[in-house]
Amino acid sequence: MLEILQNNWLLFLVGQYPHGPIGGLTMTLFMALTALALCFPFAICLALARLSPYRWLRLSATAIVHTVRGLPLIMFIFWTYFFSPLIIGRAVGGVETLIIALVVYEAAYLSEIIRAGIQGLPKGQFEAASALGLGYWTTTWKIVLPQALHNMLPSMVSQFVSTIKETSLGYVISAHEMTFAASQVNNVLLTQPFEVYAILALTYFVLCFALTSLARYIERRISAGRVAVATPAVAVAV
Amino acid sequence: MIRFENVDKWYGPMQALAGVSGEVRRGEVKVLVGPSGCGKSTLIRTVTRLEAIQGGRVLVDGVDVGARGVNINRLRQRVGFVFQAYNLFPHLSAIGNITLGLTKLRKMGKAEARERALAELARVGLAAKAEEMPGKLSGGQRQRVAIARSLAMDPEVMLFDEPTSALDPEMVGEVLAAIKQLATNGMTMICVTHEMGFAREVADEVWFMERGAVVERGRPADLINSSAHPRLQRFLRTFA
Amino acid sequence: MGYIFDLRGVLSGQYFDWFMIGLAVTIALTCAAWCLAMTMGIILTLIRMIPFRPFEWFVALYVEYHRNVPLLVQIFVWYFGVPSLLPRPARQWINGHHGEFLLATIALGLAAAAYVAEDIRSGIRSIPKAQNEAARSIGLGYLGAMGYVVLPQAIRIAVPPLINQTLLLFKNTSLAMAIGVGELTYRTREVESYTFKTFEAFAVATAIYLAISFGIMACGAYAGRRLKLENA
Repeated sequence: MLEILQNNWLLFLVGQYPHGPIGGLTMTLFMALTALALCFPFAICLALARLSPYRWLRLSATAIVHTVRGLPLIMFIFWTYFFSPLIIGRAVGGVETLIIALVVYEAAYLSEIIRAGIQGLPKGQFEAASALGLGYWTTTWKIVLPQALHNMLPSMVSQFVSTIKETSLGYVISAHEMTFAASQVNNVLLTQPFEVYAILALTYFVLCFALTSLARYIERRISAGRVAVATPAVAVAV
Repeated sequence: MIRFENVDKWYGPMQALAGVSGEVRRGEVKVLVGPSGCGKSTLIRTVTRLEAIQGGRVLVDGVDVGARGVNINRLRQRVGFVFQAYNLFPHLSAIGNITLGLTKLRKMGKAEARERALAELARVGLAAKAEEMPGKLSGGQRQRVAIARSLAMDPEVMLFDEPTSALDPEMVGEVLAAIKQLATNGMTMICVTHEMGFAREVADEVWFMERGAVVERGRPADLINSSAHPRLQRFLRTFA
Repeated sequence: MGYIFDLRGVLSGQYFDWFMIGLAVTIALTCAAWCLAMTMGIILTLIRMIPFRPFEWFVALYVEYHRNVPLLVQIFVWYFGVPSLLPRPARQWINGHHGEFLLATIALGLAAAAYVAEDIRSGIRSIPKAQNEAARSIGLGYLGAMGYVVLPQAIRIAVPPLINQTLLLFKNTSLAMAIGVGELTYRTREVESYTFKTFEAFAVATAIYLAISFGIMACGAYAGRRLKLENA
């Protein structure tokens, strides 16, 4: 197994670069970070919409979130794969497709985390803000969100871990990420599939376990330093 | 019936019980009082080994509770324990809470267990609430069911750990009445409580504890009125 | 754009059958994996209860592996990797007996088992220590207290998260298409490639997935309400 790693570590790490597009672990991390960063504004909007006093806003946001939660990610990816070229007007590569699909998918799940964070704040915060005469947007932007996001930091790191795992589905649409790189290695070697995929599994494990431990550490630090706010466990698909 | 011999207990560096000794004979009612953290709850919990001790012995009917080979489950059937937070089983009805021990431990048939359970509930005045789930009962009712649950096992001793501290004032009376009746009927009891009026009426002896030790003991009338017990006087004054 | 949305092409004749077969395989995969997940989850919980350090580590490692490795990769390890480790006759048997379905079931079931074990563990931990004390105080032993007092309450608490796991399991069956299992997503792509009616084909599959997902979510909400116990 060590030889496989020795001979192919570069492929795992950066894909076929420089003889092809960047792939491998680098692309996995890039896609996960990009998707999570891009979906943030949408997630916040969805969360606020679900808590809005306006019925139509609340119901549409709830419908969107429930619909995303009801579909497998792979279906999302296929929808995006077939229809984003039509919408954008040009051919869309595997990586771009995956990022778009993940942005939509993650926005829904992240919005649930943010919503839980907002609802977990003591009612006194909202009361104090309105007593001072602060409007909705000021309250939300300066008081509610900073606290909610801080409290939900461990859950958000967990969501990042989930996103990393979800990038593996790029394989299905030939996006050049780490799982695709591993399958390329396997197609060349052919005789040692277990070792190849074991290396792949191990790499994801080390990466995700480190991040999950980080999330737990952050959670301990937050609980120690603050009035306790319930952080719901987020079990995610894939 | 119950004897404490130099009982020591530590929670890490903090000493919860310091050389506590004392005896509760059959038919006697002892009441433990003292400020928060004085160890009175801890002491009563050592009797059924809900708390382990690091020094000394606790004997129930001559048997060392901490000795090897002691059947602690059998012992706990003989010693009833009523908790401050009632601790009813929320997934079982009131009568279900009582029949659980009767059917699984006393191996009674279902019908016989029900009959017995209803009798116990009647004794605490709650026969009408037999089928109710604990969530629907008031605090006072729950505590009375808890008492009935313990009594159904025919214990020789009853231990009460602040039975009324979690109750709204209106319900304290009904629970104390139930406990008082037990005392009148000759039950051996140790009761941890803040209710001094209750202590005065029912206790044979009051033990005043502070920082893990029994610092003063005596008959209720003596303790409360006599000036020979300054620390207790101070406690009663600040408390009352 | 002049695109006419026409469901008839997609829902007629053999294509309709393909969808139905796909749905049947999805459901079969879900049920088989679910049974494996529940069984394994309970076994893991029992192992964890034994006060022997290496057992706790084993369960912890099992859970962490299945939570940190992507499910698709786990499926690949099982489908591409494991058979290569087995002797020839075993490999031939697997190939002759719906190998993809079998290995996908194993992968999905064992992965879900990790979450099931965690959900049961959370359920047990959420029961206040005082309940165990009260049970022991009337003389019940360790097993009696667990069996009659703690576990009945823990299971009630664990049901909503477990139903959520069922939902996730159902959605995860779609990953099996990557190794050729003919479940709903796989069949949808087949229909799409034969009829070129991409939008309609995916719309049908989406509708089916959503219908079942919402059904499971509704069960979860209902169970959550019915099983709620007030504290005593």
